[in-house]
This record gives sequence, C-alpha cells and structure tokens, in this order.
Amino acid sequence: MILLPKGNPVKENLDPGKVILPEALIKLQVGRFTGYLRFDTQEGAGILIFRQGQMISALFEAAALRVVGDEAIARIFAQSLAGGALLNIYRLSHDLAMSIHALLHGHVLYRGQELKLIDIKALLGRCRDERINGCLRLYTDERIALIFYRDGSPLGFFHDGSTDIETTADTSMSVARLPGAKLDVLTMEGTEEGELSDLLESIEVKGIWEREVENRAAQKKNRQHEDKRSRQEQEKVYREKVVAHLSETAERHIGKIGASLVEKELEKVAGPVAPLTPPLLMQFFEQLNKAARLVAGPAKVTEMIGEMKKGLRGLKGS
Amino acid sequence: MEWSLFTIIFWLIAGVASFYFSLGNARVWTSIAVGFFLILLCEVIPTAMPYLPGVDMPQVEAMGYIIGTISILVMSHGFQEYYVFSRTLEFEGNKLGVYLATLGVIAASLVFILINPVPDAATLRVIRIVENTNWVFLSLINIDLIRKIHFNVKDSPISNGFVAFMVVFVFFFLWRGSELYIQVYDLAAHTAEFPVRYRLSVMVSDVANLLSGLSVAGTFFYLARLLR
Repeated sequence: MILLPKGNPVKENLDPGKVILPEALIKLQVGRFTGYLRFDTQEGAGILIFRQGQMISALFEAAALRVVGDEAIARIFAQSLAGGALLNIYRLSHDLAMSIHALLHGHVLYRGQELKLIDIKALLGRCRDERINGCLRLYTDERIALIFYRDGSPLGFFHDGSTDIETTADTSMSVARLPGAKLDVLTMEGTEEGELSDLLESIEVKGIWEREVENRAAQKKNRQHEDKRSRQEQEKVYREKVVAHLSETAERHIGKIGASLVEKELEKVAGPVAPLTPPLLMQFFEQLNKAARLVAGPAKVTEMIGEMKKGLRGLKGS
Repeated sequence: MEWSLFTIIFWLIAGVASFYFSLGNARVWTSIAVGFFLILLCEVIPTAMPYLPGVDMPQVEAMGYIIGTISILVMSHGFQEYYVFSRTLEFEGNKLGVYLATLGVIAASLVFILINPVPDAATLRVIRIVENTNWVFLSLINIDLIRKIHFNVKDSPISNGFVAFMVVFVFFFLWRGSELYIQVYDLAAHTAEFPVRYRLSVMVSDVANLLSGLSVAGTFFYLARLLR
C-alpha cells in the first residue's frame, strides 16, 4: 500500500481502463504537469510522478511485489485495462514532487508504529541527532500527513489538499491526534535533479501500451473461449441428464421403443449436440406426442409427457 | 346352421369398427384399418347380390373379388409401413392420401372391368382364385411380419394388439386357404369322389370366415382399448 497525501486534485475517480493512457501522459508532458497520478487497481497501487511534464518516477506496489520503471508502467497499464481500477491525478509543487519521488524510492526505518504507544519526543530527538534526511508519515485510514526532515531538522509539512510543503503544522499534526493514528519513519537519499531522466523519453510507453492492449485482447479471447467451452460442457452434462430422464420415463411408459423415439425426436429437433433450450424441448414434446401415439393411446402419452416435463423442472432446479 | 348371417353381422361390426378406428387414430393405422374395412365390402357384395334386384351382374361380382384382393394388399402394405416404422421410427404420408389412393385403385379396377368383355363363369373363377391366392400367401407373410413388429414393440402398450392380429391372420389363412383348395381342385364338382375333403374344406372355410369376422371386430375393439 502506497500511502501518500492527496495534493490538489486535478481529476479524481477516473476509470483508467477507458482512457488511452499514452495519449493522456503525452498531454501531461505537453502541459508541463507537476504532480502525481495514482492508480488504485485490484492487484495493487501505481504511482507516476511528473515534474515539469517529465515523468521522473514510475512505481507499482502490490502485496509481494514492488517494481519500478518500464515494468511498473506495464503493470499499471495492464491493471488499468483489466478494469476495476481508479485513477486520481493530483497537482503538487516542484519541490514536493521531488520529495515524494525521493520518499517513494527511500527506505522504511519504522513502519506502522501506533502513535500512542511510542515516545514521539525521543524519536524526533533521534532524527535530529542522526541528522536524518527523510520524513515522518502520520496516517489513519482516511487521512495522511507527511513531515519532511533535512539533516534532522523539520523542513515542512504536506497533507491532504496541499500543493506545496507548508510551514504550519496544524493540519498535519491534527492527524496525529486522530484515534488509531500510526507513524512510519522513512529515510530518503537526496536526488539530484540533473540525475533524473524523463521516462516518457527513455521508455517506449506507446509500445508497452500496445503490447498490453494485445495481451488484454488475447486474455479476453482466451477467457471467452474458456467460458464457451465451460458453457458447452455444462450444456453437454445437462443434455445427458435430460436425455437419460426422458428415455427412462419413455421406456417406463411405452417400452423400449419409447426410449428410441426420444433419442430419434431429440436428434431431429436439436441435432446431436445442440443445447436443449426450452423452445426446442417444446418442439420435441410436440413431435414425441405424435410419434408415441403410434404405439400408445393419448392418455398414456399425455401422462408420459407430463411426467417428463415435471422431471425436467426438477433437473433445472438441481 | 346359417353361417352367412352370423358371418355378415360380424363383418359388419368389424368393418364399422375398423373404419372408425382408421379415422380416430394415427396415420400408421390407416392402411391397416382401411384394408380390414374393405373386407366388409367384398363380403357384403356377393352376399347381398341375391337380395338386391338389378345388381346381379358379373361385373359387380368381379368387383367384389377385386376389392377383396385390394383389401389384403392394402392391409399388407399397412403392416409393412408399421414394420418400417418399428425399425426406423420414421413415418410419412397422410390419411387422406391413403383413402384417395385406395379409392383410385378401386376406380381403376372398375374401369378395367367395364372396358373388358363381360366376365363369364370361368373368368370369375380365375379372379376368385387370384383373390384367394393373394390372401393365402400374404396371410402367411403378414403373420411373420406381425411377429417381427411384435418383437420390435414388445413392451409397449400396443404390443398385445399385434398378437391379436396374428390370430386374425391364422383365421384368414384357414378361411381363404380352404376356399382356394376347393377352387384349385374344383372339389365342388367332385363331391361324390371326395365328400370328406369337400365337406371338411367347406366347414373350415365357413368356421374360419366366421372367426375371422369375429376376431377382426374383437381386435379393433381391443386396439381401441389399448390406444385409449
């Protein structure tokens, strides 16, 4: 789970499966967007960070998976196309975007500490003494706040709704007062801006997208094929049950020739493998009614067909 | 004992029962039932001739025999159809077609009789022999065919009806066979030489004729009960 505060929302709760993502990313590049895109998918969460239109970071994290770069982009695309994903776009300041980037690629020193159980003063003293570059992440299920540190000194605060590092602690510290608030301590290595490359330039994003679209189409085709096969299998089993029931009933009422008539008439109306739909069965009963009267009287035939229909209702229910 | 009165009564009942049966049941029974109904005509015509003024003509008598021949052919065709159905479960045609085809054959036979010379006693005898020959051999064939049908539909409601038909055809065989015997050897003209054979044949013919009518009527009532 990637925990980041919401910046200034640009777009929220979009379905990324309905967006041609490479084109959207190019628009953000052209618009010199600074901020991040968050993809919450069924498998995990993906983050794409932009600074001045350059995609400087791509991360995808799931339960036992953490991938970056082209692999992360491919995952994000695949999960978006799979459906059930949500895309949120937040605008940030240049510094905050860089901090978020550094934070995502840093190390976790402590995770999920219950705030009421730890000595916060001692922890802050240790950060100061060890001149930590990093951040304290305070969070509950609903809200998140980040407190950035450089060389052990507080640099500023970032919380839901802010676009830049703020100097006032009110909102951020209010998270700490919420019931069940937890704390992560993350250290980050300083990233020189010159070292960052634009992933949109270095990675063939359009190619990855097309490959994922093809994979998705192939998966869909396979799934449809599997569904069809499974449906045919179910229909085959149902047909066998129906034929067994009808034959057994016919044999009981009008003898072995009755079972033969059932097979013959079924083959006439539905062929050897077609699913036995209600209209086909109705047609079958009409035909059987005529054929069976060559060896039995109307009362006997009506009784037989009535029992057949009753048995079929039981088969449907099972 | 007046056999012919009882015989005609039984054939009348059998004819009405078979015709009614042909109307109320599946197409597969039409040929069989129509064939049995025609026996009524071929039995009534010669019996009724002495009592109906103006119809005592050789052509009418010839038509009676020809209808008798058509009768056994139509019912044999019906059993063949039923046999094919019992083997393949396939059936085609319609009732009206059977009625019209039978009427067509009868009409064609009438035209044949009318456009040819008036049949004399020898011609009538030949026509009668042809009729009885057909009855004798087709009765034997039908007994075997019905045995096979009975085997194919053994445990169905109608199966015992075919046992009844086998009995009917045994009576037919005895009835027509004894008549044919008398005709082929012209025993009627040699009663003095072969009195026992002649009397025995006449008795078998009369009794079997009576039992045929009785068994046909009974069989159709039995079938109607089975096919209720």
